[in-house]
Amino acid sequence: MKEIILNFDGKQCKGVLGDTILEVAQKNDVYIPTLCYLKGLSPIGACRMCVVEVEKNPKLLTSCTTPAVDGMVVHTRSEKLSKYRKQILELLFAGRNHFCMYCSQSGDCELQRLAIEHGMDSVRYPYLYAPFENDATHPDLMMDHNRCVLCLRCIRVCAEKVGAHTLDLQKRGWAATVCADMGQKLGESSTCVSCGACAQVCPTGTITIRELAYRGRRKDCDDIVESVCPLCSVGCKIKAYVRTGSIARVEGTGTEFPDGGQLCHMGRWWLPESTERERVPVPMIREGAHFREASWEEALTLIASRIKPAAEQEKAGALVSSLCTDEELSIFSAFFRDAMKVDIDTFDGDILRGFVKGFEPFRAQGVRPFTGAHNILESDLVMNLCADPQDEAPVVASYVRVAVLRNNAKLIFAGDIADPFDGLTDVSVRLNGTCKEPGFLKNLAACLVALTESKVELDGMTALDNYAKALDKLAASAEISRETAEGIVKLIASAEKPVFVLGKGLAKNPAVVAAAGNLAIAARAFFGDGLGIVPLLSSGNSLGAVNTCVADQPWLRTKDLDFLYVYSTGMIPEDEDSLAAISRSGFSVVQTPYLVRPLVNLADVLLPAPAWFERSGHFCTIEGERRRLNVIVPPQAKLKGLSSVFETIAKDLGIRVERPETAPCEEFFISKVSPEHAKMAAL
Amino acid sequence: MSKPKLATVWLEACAGCHMSFLDIDERIVDLLSKVEVTATPITDFKEIPYVDIGVIDGAIGNEEELHIAKELRKKAKVIVAWGDCAVFGGINTMRNFMPAKEVLEGGYIHTASTVNPEGVIPQGEVPALLPKAIPADNVVKVDVYVPGCPPDADTILYVFQELLEGRMPKIPSEMMRYD
Repeated sequence: MKEIILNFDGKQCKGVLGDTILEVAQKNDVYIPTLCYLKGLSPIGACRMCVVEVEKNPKLLTSCTTPAVDGMVVHTRSEKLSKYRKQILELLFAGRNHFCMYCSQSGDCELQRLAIEHGMDSVRYPYLYAPFENDATHPDLMMDHNRCVLCLRCIRVCAEKVGAHTLDLQKRGWAATVCADMGQKLGESSTCVSCGACAQVCPTGTITIRELAYRGRRKDCDDIVESVCPLCSVGCKIKAYVRTGSIARVEGTGTEFPDGGQLCHMGRWWLPESTERERVPVPMIREGAHFREASWEEALTLIASRIKPAAEQEKAGALVSSLCTDEELSIFSAFFRDAMKVDIDTFDGDILRGFVKGFEPFRAQGVRPFTGAHNILESDLVMNLCADPQDEAPVVASYVRVAVLRNNAKLIFAGDIADPFDGLTDVSVRLNGTCKEPGFLKNLAACLVALTESKVELDGMTALDNYAKALDKLAASAEISRETAEGIVKLIASAEKPVFVLGKGLAKNPAVVAAAGNLAIAARAFFGDGLGIVPLLSSGNSLGAVNTCVADQPWLRTKDLDFLYVYSTGMIPEDEDSLAAISRSGFSVVQTPYLVRPLVNLADVLLPAPAWFERSGHFCTIEGERRRLNVIVPPQAKLKGLSSVFETIAKDLGIRVERPETAPCEEFFISKVSPEHAKMAAL
Repeated sequence: MSKPKLATVWLEACAGCHMSFLDIDERIVDLLSKVEVTATPITDFKEIPYVDIGVIDGAIGNEEELHIAKELRKKAKVIVAWGDCAVFGGINTMRNFMPAKEVLEGGYIHTASTVNPEGVIPQGEVPALLPKAIPADNVVKVDVYVPGCPPDADTILYVFQELLEGRMPKIPSEMMRYD
């Protein structure tokens, strides 16, 4: 990259060729006011707040869109510029109905901040008082066009990062407004995924989140804590705004990151709400149909007395949540598995086992059998295998949409569910059994192998013959025409960087997961960090759970249990099978932060637990990163930490619990061998 | 030499700006030693005399307010616009999105709490509404703008102190607010 040097107000500043004037300024801490610009979104130079004077150029230039040129002499502050910037602000105020005294965003508003910064003490232009609509049709979002400055950040984030492209602009000039779909109201939109990214980037009070509008402005919050969303396997980074011991709002970190700082509807709404949910306040012990309050001591002594005989008869078990941190899972594993020799598993054990077993042939070779989910954005072909990303891991759905809509990637779907990207998909194969039996994927991989061989094999006729046979087999097994089959093979074969998204439905049969791995190898889906596979595991720390708590074989439904310890974070509903097993168990200890029903009704002993925002530790995410969960609100003094709970029980039992020895989660699927060297698994 | 004179008028606005003025608390004693307070809603002085400083609090929304604003402009050397209503129109401008007739019908006839079976809209005894509620500087020249809803007491005091020192103040960014 060629280095360039610009002069900003007399200061020499370094940048690289290809930077805009604004980018060079920001790299060198030179302040230029901006409004429509947002790092990571394509600059459009719409608001003209960022105008600068460049010597030898008679015009004012928008620094966000003007490429920086070596030797440019730039003035960012001058009377002329202040005059123009203030005039722009006055025009913005006169054009729409910006009245701070009854706006929920007053204080957080970038338009207001800029106007104050520019000393706008009055507006010299007559106000238009044009009536604009307040679109309140969406259940969670409000869009008050009166306050819109047409910066188009919302439209850009929706199209470029979420890939929904729900929002666009309608009409012209003064009458132009942001609209959803083809001129629909936001609540009527069929494409909106309700992720709230538009509200996060809105610089004014135009798009707001109903819930959060009066919970506290960003500027009124006492603290901002970075943490991780535990709700799905992506583990999005979050910024939590804390106000008087409650989370006022949760936002993504920044538009400049691959995920665009987006969160999904779950993260944005469930996380802040969870600070106000009904908690399990103290330990409770069942007495007939009721619970009575108990001391920690009494509750833990009771637990110790019940676990011992059950464990001796191999009739004890522990069922924990994979939304727990690596550290917490290690504590469970050290106590139950290592010290007590008790079966342990996670709620999503079946799914995780499927993936682990399917991935084992590749892991054994030292190949990391997956790649960071954001690498979907680097891909030119996405094959969705039985996944419904919008449901399983919504930000992955954004990656897929952006890959297809913005990066022109091809999209193939195969599965026994409805195509979740109907309309975007190039080829869709809906086939019963695709997710349960490896046949289709095996045949597809065989076609790719035959095609590759046909290119290198000397005896061309034999090779082509093999390819033709493989195609016939694929077409027959998938009940598709030979042309469709060949179309799919060609799409995959011609892709430079294909990526395969694996739904959790696939994990029911490890052979299907292994077949998908083979397909990725046959398709040469190789990324720097591993095979081109994105498995949609179920929760924030599924990878950590694989490393610590997931059992080799399922036991929960096959055993009569006298004792079952259950740890739920209360953030996602428990599945029915697990609940049934809990209710069958002779004695159930349920530890959970919230009064989640029906789970708490099944408990014999109920223990309080710190909620996600009161804990810290690490998550291993399918983004391929170990991410840190931080304490956002400190837990109340009467809450006992997990390690102290298990130390007390161990003491009662007179046993010693060794320090957890499990390696950090990222080491389980460590990449020792470059994926190019991966060999296909025998199926 | 006699003290400079001050008059303030309360036009289309709540009492917030005047309350904020009173929030300068004990500092009012010092201020009163430097300025003679004449007609204000606080003193209840009806006639506006010739003054050095005239303060307009509120937007201009009816004939009477228009008259008072013009009267004050004639009699004051310097006009200060206090608060978002005088500076930008403020909350009064909510009515600007419908014709004045509809506003009156809404207020005197259609409001759920109104008992007005004949549907009488008062005329003559109350000043007629202007078509729109507008900022003060749309009708008179304003010398000093003090936005805020209301402006902070410190800002209000700062403006008086500056004026009494013979300077024409401009509210610095760190004091300015619109809410």
